[in-house]
Amino acid sequence: MATSQEILDALADYQVQCNDNKRLRRMQRDWSKLLHFVADDTDDSFTMNVVKGEIVSFEAGASGAPDIVVTTRSEFLCDMFWGDLNPSQKYLQGEIRVKASQEDIMRLDAITMIIWPDV
Amino acid sequence: MTQLRKVLKLRTVISTSAGMAIATSCYLAGLQIATVLVGELAWISVMVAGFFCMLSAMCFSELTAIYPSAAGIKLFIQHAFNEKLAIIIGMFYVVLGISMVGAESYLLSSVLTSTIPIVGPVFDRYLWLLLFVFFVAYINYRGVVITGIAQDIMTYVMIAFLISVSVYSIWKNGVDIAAAAHSTRFTFSNVIQAAAVGVFLFVGYEWVAPLAEETTDYKLIGRGMLWAIGVLTCTYSLFAVGMYVGLTEEQIKEQLSSDTPIPHILLGRNLFGPVGAVLFVLMSILASVTSFNSGLLNTSRFSYAMARDNVLPRVFSNLHPDHASPWVSILFLAGLSAVVSLLTLLTGQYFFLIMMAAALECFIYIVAAVCVIRLRRKFPDKERSFKVPLGYAIPIVTIVVFTGLLIGLFCDATRDYEGRILFQNYWVAIAMGCFFLFTTAYTLAIVPIFKKKAQERASTRVKRRPGRA
Repeated sequence: MATSQEILDALADYQVQCNDNKRLRRMQRDWSKLLHFVADDTDDSFTMNVVKGEIVSFEAGASGAPDIVVTTRSEFLCDMFWGDLNPSQKYLQGEIRVKASQEDIMRLDAITMIIWPDV
Repeated sequence: MTQLRKVLKLRTVISTSAGMAIATSCYLAGLQIATVLVGELAWISVMVAGFFCMLSAMCFSELTAIYPSAAGIKLFIQHAFNEKLAIIIGMFYVVLGISMVGAESYLLSSVLTSTIPIVGPVFDRYLWLLLFVFFVAYINYRGVVITGIAQDIMTYVMIAFLISVSVYSIWKNGVDIAAAAHSTRFTFSNVIQAAAVGVFLFVGYEWVAPLAEETTDYKLIGRGMLWAIGVLTCTYSLFAVGMYVGLTEEQIKEQLSSDTPIPHILLGRNLFGPVGAVLFVLMSILASVTSFNSGLLNTSRFSYAMARDNVLPRVFSNLHPDHASPWVSILFLAGLSAVVSLLTLLTGQYFFLIMMAAALECFIYIVAAVCVIRLRRKFPDKERSFKVPLGYAIPIVTIVVFTGLLIGLFCDATRDYEGRILFQNYWVAIAMGCFFLFTTAYTLAIVPIFKKKAQERASTRVKRRPGRA
């Protein structure tokens, strides 16, 4: 199990990777969403705010009414934010559950695909 | 459970489910049902087909309750059986489903060629057909998504229009049910045979299941599917009869053997003159575009996910740098649709695709019912927000009914109004069998290569997470 701090560290790296990627920023320039990530094995929650493709903030806890809710094990969350895990594969195995529109689910996966194309 | 900012309401679930099923080809299928049976009693077969589809919808509802995901079809087959079978059936169902656009584009091009002449009938047909495929591919490529409210308006307008026209046609022309009941064509076997074609009218209603992730209550999807089938059953029942009595016998004969079938346009013209024809042209365009658009949207996302899962070549997961749409998947599927459409235009065998779509639906309903039984046995304690009542009875009835319809459909022949055989339906079974073999061979021979390559890439990649390198 990954601790809350480990996930926050992963999120910090994820924020840098996303915001520094010009191709991703261009693609996601019209994408503004509030995301909740829930670790179902530790009951930890995290909130991420994306404005026009830029991750402007993230924090521990679930705040606000989200557009997207991602629920999975804490280890998967951590691996996903470090770019060590293919979210689509886990999603297709039913190990990552997402509540969102199909379009948003694809956009979320696209972040990993663009930053770490070899995953 | 956390409440999403935007959640779908029941009315949008119904409109999406019904909107997937309403297409231009349904007008002709309705007429085909009316002629297999007796026109005035076509509603019986439509209701039988609707009832059967409701049984299958209950199975889909239970499966959606267990796997409320856009990847639902792959997940429930995979958990009920194994991943290989899930890939084989998933690809078979999704790719063969998109070929339905061949019939749709053929019929829409017939409608537009006969009402908006440009150069000449032959050129116009090719033009409209390609324009239709290109237009839908373009809006998908640009990442334009139809919103829930737009879907609601379009679907409910189409339904209200069809019901109003049908009621008016029946009121104006009258229906002699007593005489029809004494017809020699009104037999039990004809009712069932017409119901098998009637399944086509509901093609795609189950594609609403991926929307489960946009709802707060997964039961909403099941309820929406049942409501949609109910609404479609009433609409098609009225329309099949309304269209039959609203056309002259010569028109019906001509339409079922013509290479430019436009029964609904003739109905509109008979009832309201040129204005009626124009209204039906608009409805036709709306039905075809929304239906194909939803099909292409879902299929391209499926291809994207399959490529990300190393089942399809990775190129299919390429996203457009500006529109974030899976453009390679969209272009490939649009190209495939254009080829099928051109083949349909060259051969004129649009009924072949209609029969294939009906058979494909029967097949997937059987798969869904089998999965319900398998999953109940494998995971009896798994949480289900909806469970099909009466134990195994409904899934078993679903399997028996749709297997019967499928076999009956394959053993029969497709005929025109005069009873002349257009083609033997076993050719549909052969075509589907060949494609099933292809997806099986692909899954067993090619997919392991992609998976192995992905594993090799993963094993050489240095983990970024601290302490995992």
